[in-house]
Amino acid sequence: MGHRIALVGNPNSGKTTLFNGLTGSNQSVGNWPGVTIEKKSGKLKHQNFEAEIVDLPGVYSLSTISLEEEVTTKYILSKSMDLIVNIVDASNLERNLFLTHQLLDSSIPMIIALNCMDIAKAKFQDLNIPKLESLLGVPVVPITASKKHGLVDLIRVIEIANYEPRIPQKRYSEAIEKTILQFQSIVNDRFLATRFFEDGINVDKYSEHDELTKLTLQNALELAKKDYTLDFDMVLPDERYNLILTICNAVLTRNSVEIESSTDKIDKLLTHRILGLPLFLGIMFTVFYLSFGPIGTFITDGFVWLIEGFFSIIIGGIESVGMAPWVSSLVINGIFGGLAAVLGFLPQLTILFLFLSILEDSGYMARAAFIMDRVLRRFGLSGKSFIPMLIGFGCSVPAMAATRTLDKSEDRKITTMIIPFISCGAKAPIYGIIAGAIFASHSYLVVFSMYIIGIMVAIMSAILFKKTILKGASANYLMELPEYRMPTAKNTFLHTWERVKGFLIKAGTILLGAFIVIWFLSYFGFVDGTFRLLSYEEIEYSFLGLIGKALLPIFSPIGFSDWQATVAILTGFVAKESVVGTLGILYGVAGDVLESGTLLYPALQAAFTPLQAYSFMIFALLTTPCIAAIAAMKKELGSWKWLIFALVYELVVAYVAALLVYQLGSLGIGTLLTVLVFIVVIIIVFSTIRRIIKSKGSTCGSCTGCGIEGSCDIKSKRK
Amino acid sequence: MTLSELKPGESGRIIHVYSNNLRKRIIDMGLTNGTVIKVKKLAPLGDPMEILVRGYFLTLRKAEARTIEIERIGVDL
Ligand SMILES: Nc1nc2c(ncn2[C@@H]2O[C@H](COP(=O)(O)OP(=O)(O)O)[C@@H](O)[C@H]2O)c(=O)[nH]1
Ligand SMILES: [Mg+2]
Repeated sequence: MGHRIALVGNPNSGKTTLFNGLTGSNQSVGNWPGVTIEKKSGKLKHQNFEAEIVDLPGVYSLSTISLEEEVTTKYILSKSMDLIVNIVDASNLERNLFLTHQLLDSSIPMIIALNCMDIAKAKFQDLNIPKLESLLGVPVVPITASKKHGLVDLIRVIEIANYEPRIPQKRYSEAIEKTILQFQSIVNDRFLATRFFEDGINVDKYSEHDELTKLTLQNALELAKKDYTLDFDMVLPDERYNLILTICNAVLTRNSVEIESSTDKIDKLLTHRILGLPLFLGIMFTVFYLSFGPIGTFITDGFVWLIEGFFSIIIGGIESVGMAPWVSSLVINGIFGGLAAVLGFLPQLTILFLFLSILEDSGYMARAAFIMDRVLRRFGLSGKSFIPMLIGFGCSVPAMAATRTLDKSEDRKITTMIIPFISCGAKAPIYGIIAGAIFASHSYLVVFSMYIIGIMVAIMSAILFKKTILKGASANYLMELPEYRMPTAKNTFLHTWERVKGFLIKAGTILLGAFIVIWFLSYFGFVDGTFRLLSYEEIEYSFLGLIGKALLPIFSPIGFSDWQATVAILTGFVAKESVVGTLGILYGVAGDVLESGTLLYPALQAAFTPLQAYSFMIFALLTTPCIAAIAAMKKELGSWKWLIFALVYELVVAYVAALLVYQLGSLGIGTLLTVLVFIVVIIIVFSTIRRIIKSKGSTCGSCTGCGIEGSCDIKSKRK
Repeated sequence: MTLSELKPGESGRIIHVYSNNLRKRIIDMGLTNGTVIKVKKLAPLGDPMEILVRGYFLTLRKAEARTIEIERIGVDL
């Protein structure tokens, strides 16, 4: 029972903020188009009133091109809600009212929530709401969702709203009304008729018609086309915008002098012709430097010291009580060994998440896409693909979901398949602990190189896919640049906390479980024919020891010299954090090791040469993602065939890259040189591929296949 | 002339939008015939471009901009 109310509006108009305000939930908001990619529902409770609120992905128009937008259009055309709350960004009235205008053709009851009143008040001299209400014919409630202003008023209006079907007004010119009526006589619905008018037979995706109706419609369409001089698909949008302009002029009093907005000022710098690109790279570098450089490491060391202290006390307690040996082994080696290694990275991850959240909330993400489009286009991607890739630095799972904002299925597939190469937050501890132990003062450079290599491999894979299995993929790019918004402390905190919480929950559930299993498999085994708990010196006889040793020949060409490393890599399949946890369990962060300085370092220093360490990290970086990401990947790719292909591809790439590093390095040229050689090799492969593209591929945006780069623009050809 | 030929700071009025991959979306986002647009800037690598249309900032590639026929106008938005 209770009404079902759908929030519909343009991307970035504040729907999710309002949804959170109405339902008291904490869905993530972000200042770039496409944050909400699936519909989510929650409960609105206010005194005696109860309703279900549905948050839908933002759309600019009901004629849709991307997958996430289809969710919204389908939902509206199926009339699954009792009331639409249309969120209109008051600071961007003209464009926002286009969708409103389309929605008004339907008979679904509707209320307008006029959001961002704080910005509108600063931007316009006056906004006449009663007049807007009377011109649109539906209630209009001014709100500022981010400050929770006006929500009570909105709820009251929702409560007393008329839930009977609305009768859409006739608003258009005679000729247009006539055409609508013609279509209406075929499909029996004014809303559907206007949709057909604007979107042509595309509408068929959302409502089933039999062949005869389709044919009649098509004929009616051909006939109607003759009545207009304007292109038929522009007739209705053009009429709408003209009507909207009249409305805007009637309700808005604009400031006589346009003041330069702060967005303008910031953008002058951040998307500057010359400074834009260096600034972008600088920002990225700064984020990673702060997270993994001296500062992040310093904080982490302090934190590790605390964990050590805490665990030592407990371990001391356990030992003094004198429990069964297997219990103390479980607690010391399994649980603490694993968790201590993972939790140590909480501070660094928090810093990384904090910066990602600020980037998302401020509106810089969209600028990054704008700046990078020209680059990504070469690889068959769009600047918009850059946003999922950036999110991928946090976690692959939401990153893969975010690919749904991309218009084309090839583009989506390519982006989804390369996201695992983007080093996610969970892989950071692997580099952190190994680079920290082995490369000491250069560790943040080593970590940074991991990120760069990940990005390069991702890009090369995109090119490869575009040239081979997804031929002719060419992504579209059309994107609104939202106004910069100062990330609010609360929002940033919530955003960061969400991710940190996710990490902690994972540590407390999946990882803890995995560590116990790993502990069992590595501390029990048959020695001298009896099955029993093994001591640390005997763990090579454990189950995992046997498996690791059996698989070692496969991994030894890439530099793995003991079974512990092999096993650790394998457990990354469960979650990338467990690689470090497993290292913790297997290299024994127990008892006395805990007291001797930074957790795992001495054991790792004994187990890895710098070269082996680098090769290990490369393999960990590039190999197949964790099970959660694989599930997300399956969902986005849609088929087992593609999924298996992607996974095999990643495995092969990881192996070959690690092999290259290790074998080159083994020639005895020193680690730093190896890294250099490796990067040079990448660049050579990279430019070869580029040459291949130049010789036969097309890279001109929307035109596919003319084969000569730049030939679409004769003037700019070979400047 | 087409939108791609406008320099940053210049304005134009749309005469026609020729077919391209994104035509429908471009129209729905407010680039209908007669609309006045102003070029804000080009991306650091020269493409895409940022325009001011109907009071908001839209970025599009030159490939699409080339399919939008405009006439240059002197007035400022
Ligand atoms: N100044 C201001 N910002 C807002 C308001 N409502 C939402 N925002 C911000 O607008 C951005 C987009 O909000 P979001 O809810 O994710 O929009 P959605 O894409 O429509 O779901 C976020 O950065 C919000 O903090 C408002 O009333 N005033
Ligand atoms: Mg949203």
